[in-house]
Amino acid sequence: MEVDREDGRSQNQLRPLACSRNILHRAHGSASWSQGDTKVLAAVYGPKAGTKKNENPEKACIEVIWKPKTGQIGKPEKEYEMILERTLESICILTVNPNTTTSIIVQVVNDDGALLPSAINAACMALVDAGIPMKHLAVAICCCLAKSGYVILDPTKLEEQKMKAFAYLVFPNSVRSVLPEGSLRVEGEPIENGIITSVTHGIMSVADYFYCLERGRAASVKLSDFLRRNLQQQSTDSSKAG
Amino acid sequence: MEGRLANSWRLTVNDKNFIKTALLSEIRIDGRKPFEYRKISIKFGREDGSSEVQLGQTRVMGMVTAQLVQPYRDRPKEGILSIFTEFSPMADPSFEPGRPGELAVELGRIIDRGLRESRAVDTESLCILASKFVWAIRIDLHILDNGGNLVDAANIAALAALLTFRRPECSLGGEDGQEVIVHPPEIREPLPLTVHHLPIAISFGFFSNESILVIDPTHNEEAVMGGRMTTTVNANGDICAIQKSGGEGVPQRVIMQCLQLATSKAASITKQIKDAVEVVNTERALRKVKRHPTSTGVDVREKQN
Repeated sequence: MEVDREDGRSQNQLRPLACSRNILHRAHGSASWSQGDTKVLAAVYGPKAGTKKNENPEKACIEVIWKPKTGQIGKPEKEYEMILERTLESICILTVNPNTTTSIIVQVVNDDGALLPSAINAACMALVDAGIPMKHLAVAICCCLAKSGYVILDPTKLEEQKMKAFAYLVFPNSVRSVLPEGSLRVEGEPIENGIITSVTHGIMSVADYFYCLERGRAASVKLSDFLRRNLQQQSTDSSKAG
Repeated sequence: MEGRLANSWRLTVNDKNFIKTALLSEIRIDGRKPFEYRKISIKFGREDGSSEVQLGQTRVMGMVTAQLVQPYRDRPKEGILSIFTEFSPMADPSFEPGRPGELAVELGRIIDRGLRESRAVDTESLCILASKFVWAIRIDLHILDNGGNLVDAANIAALAALLTFRRPECSLGGEDGQEVIVHPPEIREPLPLTVHHLPIAISFGFFSNESILVIDPTHNEEAVMGGRMTTTVNANGDICAIQKSGGEGVPQRVIMQCLQLATSKAASITKQIKDAVEVVNTERALRKVKRHPTSTGVDVREKQN
């Protein structure tokens, strides 16, 4: 069924993506990610000595600071910080630098829908720019469910507000490897089918949720390709000076 | 993350001596002459009132928003202007998140003095209904990258954001004329703020040997310098504010020299800001001509069908 979206996209079409790395000079790693009009800037400092109180000193620790565009930091910002922290903890290899803290600072430049997925993508790119060891990348996407049952990807802010429910989904990126296929599977399924994080708002039925997952997974392949191209291009540029 | 001495950045003694010795021969470590400013680039975001300024390696983002509030009791016919500075931990590993430190407060106060007390922004035009409703303009300055001389960069960001900000038009209505109706931007064009002049902050650094003076110090020079002074002047030659808090004593003639230098620099920076704002305004006007009432005009690329 054909759906009319305000900016002329089809159901499964993402907004134009733009990403640049190494934009800040003091930060160890930085990246700016924009999906359409939503723009997020992420910076990474790390690893720094010591961990926070009550954290396991045998592992590295990740700290996330979320800076909204304007206004005080409130509960929604704290929630975003926690979700980002847990997502990034699961993709970083925490045993490499024990008893250290890596800080990730996310600054919202403009919010036009799908803010948390953009932030996760930006944070991931900033971690790559800083050279923090990771198992794989995290690719985040937002899927919305409308009242009539169709699913659209990457909504703008207006679309998000009109929808019945939406879900932020984070998948590992698609793998391209020289190893034989069988060794990359976890319990018989390829790695990229796994979900790292899923946050839902609003009511949706189980069938709808699985439909969203399927759409999200397909879109994450495209996003992984974009990430891969972007990283390969920039890795041939000159290296960072301390 | 409090008091992490291991993470604080320090210049070595060799670096410090090198900077000082080079200044004796009027050479700065980034190749500039003592009275040369770094390259300023002013960019604007999608929304009205958002700007991003890059001064060499320093990067500051400014955001202006407005809200209808009740005015202060002793000033019932004036709008409210408030400046919030955020020293984001992104800019420097020594900036802590949470409450603003001394530097952040001082920076906010310098910019505030330049804008408010010189009456650069006209607050009386922000009054809608005396003693009941006025516009409160809030300027948020986010420091993204600390490459030195944050005050100047933040000031330019604040001015650029103020010049491109548009507030919604509102009219009085209701039975007794006491209700304020705010018109959404699609119905009536939002209005710009009245800015009479542009106060530009120019910072100087003083070094101990033979009262050497530099303009626009970088991060490394700031760690070495003995004192700093920020003068806020406008293109008409008026001095809006001078801030010299402690540090080395400097002779009077040096202060006069600084003021003269500042006035000449202010003229060129004012022109640069006005040119950049002009470009954005023409772009915005062109965008409005193409806009259809049913679409939001977000994705210009996808309109080529």
